This record gives sequence, structure tokens and C-alpha cells, in this order.
Amino acid sequence: MAAMLAILRKDLRLELRSGLSTTALVSLSLLILVVLVFALPASVAGAEPAAGALWVAMIFSGMLGATRALSAERENGCIRALLQSPVDPATLYAAKLAAAFIFMAVAEIAAILMMVLFFNLDFDLRIIRLAPVILLGALGFAALATLLAAISGHTRASDLLLPMLAVPMFVPALIAGVKASAAALAGEPIAAMGAWIKILVAFDVLFVASGYLLFEFVAGED
Amino acid sequence: MASGLRTWLGIAAGALMLAALFMVFVYVPTEAEEGIVQRIFYFHVPIAWVTFAAFGLVAISGVFYLWMRQQVWDELGYAAAETGMVFCTLMLVTGSIWAKPIWGTWWTWDSRLTTCLILWLLYGGYLVLRVLADDTPETARLAAVVGIVGALDVPIIIVSVRLWRTIHPAVLVTRQGSHGLEDPRMIATLLVAMAAFTAFFCWLLWLRFATLRAGARVARLKLRLALAAAGD
Amino acid sequence: MPAAIVEARQLAMNFGATPVLRAVDLRVEAGRGAIVTGGNGAGKSTLLKLLAGLNSPSHGHALLFGTEARRLAAGQRRRVGLMTHQSFLYPNLTARENLEFYASLYELRSPRDAAERWLGRVGLAAASGERVRALSRGMEQRLSAARAMIHEPDALLMDEPFAGLDSGGVSILASLIKEAIARKSAVLMTAHGAPAIEGVELERFELERGCLAAPKAETRTGRLRSLLGG
Repeated sequence: MAAMLAILRKDLRLELRSGLSTTALVSLSLLILVVLVFALPASVAGAEPAAGALWVAMIFSGMLGATRALSAERENGCIRALLQSPVDPATLYAAKLAAAFIFMAVAEIAAILMMVLFFNLDFDLRIIRLAPVILLGALGFAALATLLAAISGHTRASDLLLPMLAVPMFVPALIAGVKASAAALAGEPIAAMGAWIKILVAFDVLFVASGYLLFEFVAGED
Repeated sequence: MASGLRTWLGIAAGALMLAALFMVFVYVPTEAEEGIVQRIFYFHVPIAWVTFAAFGLVAISGVFYLWMRQQVWDELGYAAAETGMVFCTLMLVTGSIWAKPIWGTWWTWDSRLTTCLILWLLYGGYLVLRVLADDTPETARLAAVVGIVGALDVPIIIVSVRLWRTIHPAVLVTRQGSHGLEDPRMIATLLVAMAAFTAFFCWLLWLRFATLRAGARVARLKLRLALAAAGD
Repeated sequence: MPAAIVEARQLAMNFGATPVLRAVDLRVEAGRGAIVTGGNGAGKSTLLKLLAGLNSPSHGHALLFGTEARRLAAGQRRRVGLMTHQSFLYPNLTARENLEFYASLYELRSPRDAAERWLGRVGLAAASGERVRALSRGMEQRLSAARAMIHEPDALLMDEPFAGLDSGGVSILASLIKEAIARKSAVLMTAHGAPAIEGVELERFELERGCLAAPKAETRTGRLRSLLGG
């Protein structure tokens, strides 16, 4: 536990110094939202397209974030040093997951604000209702991306492989997340989103557990 | 002799397939609602079953590989993924062919076809990983993890896609499972078709697995030869 | 015969069809130092990486504390120190932060104090607040050595540790190695030439194209002579 906090603290400190990850996440989200505004029909506004756009931005910026986090650890071979240390690979995964989740959550705050602006929604309390959905989504995606980035990082075309693996695996959370987000933005009561939230939770549990248990098989280098 | 058994399996699969073809096109009565096109059902369902079974096999092989670290499990998983991909593609094709005459479009986002597409993408990701990475124990581990995680994800995928489609029903709704099989001849045909495709899959899987094993053996021998030559 | 801390048993490694190491046997016991020399491509780095558990051998065994180097438990990994061509340092963290981080990973009781102490030992006390990316090569190398030794490992593996060091750095590192040996660690290093460390008897192994020549022991009165690079 102490080791996990040490690694997490290190990652947060590095991020505070360079700010590169969060900047990358936020910028890419902004760009994606802009592209979608141009790409979608002119009259687009309202909860559903907004929710969709937000999740598109989340997925693609999340993938970028995961790749960068991994390559930062590869610099100077630090990942090797971490694996050589007494730290469990599972603990290392937990720390990396926590860092990815925090960065994504911070970036999502900015993305939500932009989304509300671009899609002509109201700045009211309904946005707060969005928070748990987005957090669940970010957790699931962070868990997935941290594991898959480690896997795809071993191959020649890691930036091709990561989306190829991540997108189909993320589909259930994407469907549930978009539907729940749209419902939250449209002001529907929590009960209406119940089924979707359950799916998100199940997804998160599955991927956090799988990542934790399986990371040791993908972390090393041969 | 293993390959002798395999040949018998191939012959049995062939015979079952001929029987199935006969039953599907001649024996079974035409279904009332959908007409002749409904006969695709007898292909589509067994193919779907085989696709899911293959996926499960990839995952189980992965578990065994990570546990026992014996290359045979890795080869089995790879063979299952390749063979499964073939059947998954067939599943998409038969599903599409089925949709066209009934609903007028080649593609529809109903829950079954959508799930099928996601499954196809999962298979594809696994195979791309295999192709992009070298042939090392490390790759075997990575592929095993992908197979396991993918398989665990499949139930959630099915549930979420189904929920997606019932809340916003698409233009059409596909029949589920064996709903509407009143005539016992239909059930018989389905069973024979299931047996035929299962046997066919097993035979293809075995072939592919044997090829991979042989290939690995050749590579090992080549390596030993090269090492012996270099050593002097 | 006392148990070896670092041991290679018929260790062989092939990269594809190219044999890089052939049936190497080597032992280093507690309180002993060994140095593996050889030209470029002789297989020194490969040998060290195998003994550190970074790669799997093609044949034979790489053992640390009697266990396969690749399968060390967490408690055993705590007793291993590694220094290679990669510095294992985070460029955007300061020297002190790097040492504190690794000290806490290795579960030292007081990471901060340990970091301060070792910064002093490698002569980097003045630069402790500098980010690693701002350090010179020699300073980074010294910091990397401190990182490898801060947890006082029982097995210390170093790949060409003297490369890139000025004479001040060389003497600092030499004294640290001497201390480690005095502390009953087993030290194994690789080098191009054969630096001799005053007051320390180093067992010398020479690798040529993956094969070991017969081991020779250095004499006790070797003068400090560092051969940097080839």
C-alpha cells in the first residue's frame, strides 16, 4: 500500500511539473468536440448528441494519455527498475490505474464544461448528476487502457493495436455511459439510469480485477 | 495415430454436413412467416454457437498457458482464434444475408448482429496482436491475457447491446434462438446442423493446431541446426 | 563451499540463431567481488542481465540467493541492486526525489535520511535539488550508483559502472564497492578493461565471444588504474 502511494505520488508530482498529460487530454478533447460540431448536423444540440460527443472525446484522449504514461515510464528504463524492486506488479498496476483515473477525471471536468458550451446546454445542476457516470466511465477506461497499453506497448505498432483492442472491449461501458449521461443531462431521475449504472459498475469491477490479477503477465520484458 | 483419428473426424464432419445440407434444403418444411430465407437460420445458429465456443476456448487455453506455461496451450489458443475468426466472419455474412430479403438492408444494428460485429473486432484485435508481435513466450502471455479479458467482457457486451436495442428498438427485431420451431423436423434439422458444424469446426481446429505445432517444431529444429553450425 | 549469492550454471543465451553466451559457469560468494571483462560483443551485458533476471536464458541457470533470478520473491528482490547503462532515473525529478522514491520502494525506514546520506556519499549533496535532466553524465552516473546501493543490497550487479566517470567519480565508486564487499555483499561488475580497486581482491573472469577463459585473481597490491571505455 505504501509502495502504491509512493508510485502514485511520484506520478502526480511529475505531472504537476510538466502538466503534459492533462494538457494533452484536455486539448485533444477540445479538438474532438470541435470536429464533432462540424461533422454532425447543423441543428445538433441537446442531451443525446452532447453525451455522445463527450464520450468520444473521453475515449480517444484517454488512449493518448495511456500511451504517453507508458512511454514516460520507459524513458531511462524506469519501468525495469520498478519491476526489479520489491513492488508487486499488481501494486504497480493499481498505482498506474489511480494516476490515469485522476488525470482523466480532471480532464473530464474541462471536457464537460466545453461540451455544455458547444452543445447549448444549460449550466445547471443536471451537470452534477453527470459526475458519477463520468467517474465510473473514467475508472473503467483507465483500468482497461492501463492494461492494454502495457500489452500493446510490447509490439511494433502499439498505437494501432491499442485502439483495436480497447474499442471493442469498451463497448459495453460506452453504450451504458452514453445512455446514462444523456439521461442525466436530460434531467431524468437516477432510477431511470439504474440498468446502465449497473452495467458500468460491472464493467469497472471486471476490468479493475482483471488488470490487477493479470498485469504481472504483461508487465515484464523478456 | 493422431492424424488417422483426425481424418476420421474429417470424414464424419463431411458426412454430417452432407446430411445437414440435405435436411436444410430438402427435408425441413418451409417456415410460414419468413419463407425460404428462414433456412439460413439452420446455418446461422450453429455457426454462432461455434464462434462463441471458439472464443471460450481461446480464453481457457489462455488460462492454462499462464498456469502451466506449456507451449501447446498457446498453440491451441491461436488455432482456436484463427478458426473462430473464420466462423465469426461466416456468422456476420449469414446474418447479413438473412437480414436483406426480410428487411431490405444488408446491415442492421439489431442486438445479435451488433454483438457479432463486436466479437469480430475482438477476434481481429487478438489476431493483429499475434501478427504484430514476434513468436516469443512473451507474446504468448500477452495473447493469453487478451483472450481471457475479451472472453470475460463478452457477457457484458451481450447484455449492454441487448439493453441498447430494447430501449431504442431498431427498425427490425430479430428472432431470438429457437423461437418458432414448432415442427419436430425443424428441431431435428437444427440438431444435425449443430453436430455438423461442431464437427467441422473441431476438424478445422485440429488441422490448424497441428500445423502450428509442426511449424513450431520446424522452427526449433532449424534453430538447433543454426546454433550447431555457429558453435564451431 | 559457502553458498554462492550470484551464480551462473552452464548459462547459455542465444539471440535467434546467434549464440551470445555459451555454457558459462561463475560464482560470487558473500563478501567477494568479481569482474567480468571482455571486448565489445563478448556477452558481458547479456551475462549481467541474465543474472539480474531481466531476461530468460536459453539454457542453464542464472541464480541469485540460490533461486532462479527471474523468479525472485519480493523479499529477495529487496536484496538485489542493479546498475546498467540505463540510469533508471526520472529526468524530471530532482536527485533527492529520485533517491527518496527508490528508498521508499525498497522499504527503507527513513527514505529521506537515506537519500541525504547517499547524496553526500556520491558527492552530489550540492546538486541534490537539481533535476536529473540538468545533471552532467558523470553526475547522473554517480546518482545511478547511489540508486543501486541505497538499500545496501546483498547482491550488487553493475554493468560497466566506471564508464563515463571522472577520476573523482571513479574513486567514489571504488570506495563504495569496497564498502559493499566489506559489508558481505557479493559484487559482480562488467568492464572493458580491468580496473583494480585498492585493497580489494577481485576475481576476474574474461569473456570472449560468449565463452569464459580461466578465472584469475587480482593481486592485493593492485594500484588504482581505471581504463575508461575500450
